[in-house]
Amino acid sequence: MVKKTYLHEKHIELGAKMVDFAGWHMPVQYTSIIEEHKNVRENVGLFDVSHMGEIFVIGEDAEEFLNKIVPQNISKLTNGKAVYCQLPNRNGGLIDDLIIYKLKENTYLIVCNASRVDEDINWMSLNQRGYNINLDNQSHNLSLIAVQGPKSIDLIRKLGYKDNQDSFTIKEDKLLNIPMYISRTGYTGEDGFELLVINEYVEYLWDKLLEEGKEYNVMPIGLGARDTLRLEAALPLYGNDLDENTTPVEAGLSWSIPKNKLDNYNGKKVITEQLENGAPKKLIGIKMLDKSIARHEYEVYYKGEKVGVITSGGVSPILNANIAMAYVKNIKEICLGTKVQVMIREKLHDGEVVKRPFIQKRNKVTRS
Amino acid sequence: MSITEKILCTKSHEYLLEDNGNYIIGLTDYAIEQLGDIVFVELPEVNTEYTKGDTFATIESVKAASEIYIPVSGKIIDVNNAIVNSPEILNEDCYENGWLVKIERTGDDSEFSDLLEYEDYKEELE
Repeated sequence: MVKKTYLHEKHIELGAKMVDFAGWHMPVQYTSIIEEHKNVRENVGLFDVSHMGEIFVIGEDAEEFLNKIVPQNISKLTNGKAVYCQLPNRNGGLIDDLIIYKLKENTYLIVCNASRVDEDINWMSLNQRGYNINLDNQSHNLSLIAVQGPKSIDLIRKLGYKDNQDSFTIKEDKLLNIPMYISRTGYTGEDGFELLVINEYVEYLWDKLLEEGKEYNVMPIGLGARDTLRLEAALPLYGNDLDENTTPVEAGLSWSIPKNKLDNYNGKKVITEQLENGAPKKLIGIKMLDKSIARHEYEVYYKGEKVGVITSGGVSPILNANIAMAYVKNIKEICLGTKVQVMIREKLHDGEVVKRPFIQKRNKVTRS
Repeated sequence: MSITEKILCTKSHEYLLEDNGNYIIGLTDYAIEQLGDIVFVELPEVNTEYTKGDTFATIESVKAASEIYIPVSGKIIDVNNAIVNSPEILNEDCYENGWLVKIERTGDDSEFSDLLEYEDYKEELE
């Protein structure tokens, strides 16, 4: 049965077009994907991302356990800090990508993809033996609203937020008397917040954000614009850009992996070998040179030879161009500025390899 | 008489509108509404001939690419280049300015048998 978030009725009332996504009935757009996209870049948008998974890892071995299951160095996390992580299998292929928050000593929160909650829990349970921890999947009790865009800070200030926390931090707080976790994270490349509350409070919070946000031109944003926003910011989408046969090195995520981590994490052998010697494929960004749109699974060619496949592609409303990410053979001839071709309806269309992200990200916030 | 009273529609959401003995083909307002923002239009060359049901154009929204089928057999005699340059015209008006192509029919009248009047087409959707 298709699941509904606690904001489902609100989406219907707002006239959203609904689609099934990862087992959930979710809004894909309210007005127009392009309009919603631009509003997040210029003002502020609200996303219901309650479908995402929240798993608490609690116990005296929590740090050690997390160090076993992700390539990132969890020991470096201080209280209230967050880190972008991957969950590799023993071959280095990705079961999921995650954000891990250290709430306090021995207590961590994992936010994971809706489509992967069950796999993540299974995998973590398999790895749990010998560690004194408790895995507590709270996904069904918690709702998550992302408030994203340059005016997101103004909006939540209006709701009583007094702080100005760094990006990639989390704190327990109260807004409107509602207890919540506030994290300065998101999936748009903009500054923004994610508000995690128990289900019963989310409708009230949503309404208040829409009402108080009017002066900042707040709009509800569907999954359609969520996808175009994250594509411009070159943030990977599990299932499109990441899967169990793709390592984080291949996925262009080497920047997130410490090279000197001592713990023997899952997939370490393959991942460190690839960090040193390179991987068989690599992720590239492509900007189409005509009006054609490269989409998921279209083939990529270089000098007449098929060299790879598009993982995510579509329009960039900000660049007014069409952009894509692709896995291609890891050969040095394919680099920034190289012309490649994408097969679209049996015709080859030129694209140029460009740097990722496609736009300047604006989510780096540090306290002055 | 409003334009929707003069068109015939296919179940795949194309419309056909008589125009001085020839026919204009486009996409219904329902189809456009479902697609959302149109960002790319690919139209055929003038003089290309198609048989009823052939793919003759591609329209892409932000989310996906859709093939467009010709409602009756015919030869392309004109294409709407304005929408190739400005696909958003389709979102504003899919009948007056947002038409796709004009054809000269080459098939027989039996090809009309499965086309629906707009009111019946709308009913089919419910």
